[in-house]
Amino acid sequence: MGSPEFEVIISKTGKVTVEVKGAKGPRCLEYADMIKEIIGREEERRLTTEYYAPDAQVRIDARVRDASG
Amino acid sequence: MSAVIVLTPMVVCAWPAIASAIMGAAASMGFSLRGSALHEEKESRLRKVERDIEQSEVVADQLNPGEKIVVTRDDLTVEFGQDRRGRCTVCVSGLRHSEKELKRIGDEIAGRVVQQFAYHKLVTELKHRNYSVVEEEVLADQSVRLRIRG
Repeated sequence: MGSPEFEVIISKTGKVTVEVKGAKGPRCLEYADMIKEIIGREEERRLTTEYYAPDAQVRIDARVRDASG
Repeated sequence: MSAVIVLTPMVVCAWPAIASAIMGAAASMGFSLRGSALHEEKESRLRKVERDIEQSEVVADQLNPGEKIVVTRDDLTVEFGQDRRGRCTVCVSGLRHSEKELKRIGDEIAGRVVQQFAYHKLVTELKHRNYSVVEEEVLADQSVRLRIRG
């Protein structure tokens, strides 16, 4: 998995909006918590579809045997 | 993207860090420094309004009582200081502006101070954690957009 990327918008009133990209599942919450620890008080949090994508890759090997074995 | 969070900065730090944010905010709005000054109580016909920088607290290297940072632009004067609770205060005065306009200016400059503080805090802390700012721009609405990568 590649390193994460943060898209940050700091408004002229000081509000900070951060999009965490490149991290799936609960790992992205760790990055979000890291940013929150730096900045301050969390007002809102939204999880997107990438959050629900599996973090690990699963490979399935299947073999088909005919009736004769 | 996987998550979006919205945060309100807690401006809790030593006064020099806040002073740095004040200078950046003032410069971005066309104000220039008149210098630190001891507040002088004097009769004045100037209209004045007081605002606070929300979620702010000076926790070290505090200002001497009455000491202020003063910036000016045209007939406007903005004084930054701290109250007894350590909260940052903004006092805006001017001859040719209504009270409503002075409040608007005070709120805008207070917001810009928070913006500057949040920008420097975030960039500095993430650099310490080996992240880099790969893209930066000021948008038309004066927001700052950053792209930061690990």
